[in-house]
Amino acid sequence: MDSTNKAVQLEAAHALIDALESDDENEIKHHLGILTQSQENELFDEVGKMTRELHDSLSNFSLDHRLIDLTNNDIPNTRDRLNYVISTTEDAAHKTLGFIEKTLPLASDLKQTAEKIDESWHRFRMKEMGVEEFRTLSDEIASYLPDVKKHSDDIHANLSEMMLAQGFQDLTGQVIRQVINMVEEVEDNLIRLVKLSGQYQVAKTDKKVVDSIKAEGPQINAENNPNVVNNQDEVDDLLSSLGF
Amino acid sequence: MKILIVDDFSTMRRIIKNLLRDLGFNNTEEADDGLTALPILQAGGIDFLVTDWNMPGMQGIDLLKTVRADETLSKLPVLMVTAETKREQIIEAAQAGVNGYIVKPFTAATLKDKIDKIFERIETQA
Repeated sequence: MDSTNKAVQLEAAHALIDALESDDENEIKHHLGILTQSQENELFDEVGKMTRELHDSLSNFSLDHRLIDLTNNDIPNTRDRLNYVISTTEDAAHKTLGFIEKTLPLASDLKQTAEKIDESWHRFRMKEMGVEEFRTLSDEIASYLPDVKKHSDDIHANLSEMMLAQGFQDLTGQVIRQVINMVEEVEDNLIRLVKLSGQYQVAKTDKKVVDSIKAEGPQINAENNPNVVNNQDEVDDLLSSLGF
Repeated sequence: MKILIVDDFSTMRRIIKNLLRDLGFNNTEEADDGLTALPILQAGGIDFLVTDWNMPGMQGIDLLKTVRADETLSKLPVLMVTAETKREQIIEAAQAGVNGYIVKPFTAATLKDKIDKIFERIETQA
């Protein structure tokens, strides 16, 4: 309350007491009016001040480029990133399952033939086998050994493919880190917004400095970006165009 | 032949380590970014460096530049295995003196091919 307002109210209060004591109804009404009026003025001042602050805050908010940028670009981009995580993990899971499905019959096949030969071999050692039967066993062993080599090679190759498929964890991990950074930035901006609604704050209009070689992790929607290579062949072409 | 594998994801280090073992390189060491890789390199004994680009701490491109600027390490063959696929980045790596550049996801055949090419080139230069 300013001092002029206070003096006016004090004077009106004294005059009101005098009027009450002398029971002068007109004077009582007059001085009560003055007191109420000064109270209302103060309320109007406060509302006016709050309105101005709100207006400043709102214009301030609309000037915050980073928040607009986040809403227009980063959030839709995050949707793409999370979809990339889903499709990459799905592909890796299918790829791994596919190689497991290819490998299991190879292992079963080796085991079954080995069991059969083992049984015959045991009978041969016990001298329970005729010449004709031994000839069959010999043929079986002869065809089994190259199969062992072939199946082992295939199992090794399939296991290597399964191992490579686990690379999804690195690729999706990089993308999820970017999403976490974006969520943190949105959180910071929302906190600033909450602060702005309470008090005036100068808007930070910091625009990100463009760094063309900054690490970005896996590219999402790379097919639509001419500045990005899509496979190892394109990398090799680019490097050989540079004399590599 | 001792190879240092630098990647912040332990799964990727494990994949590369296993692929290298398949190719006959049994002696490998690991680091999770450029800052932890440098002391290992400076201690000596590493013959080949395989590094990711995007890592916290020191990034692969900065590790490459540091290696090339270091008198004792400047000739070390460096293979980059990364998800970074922007043309500017590949050009930057080439200009910084990378010996090979593989984009993730990659195949065992690509890794073998690039390593063979790097050693072929070193032999012809020697």
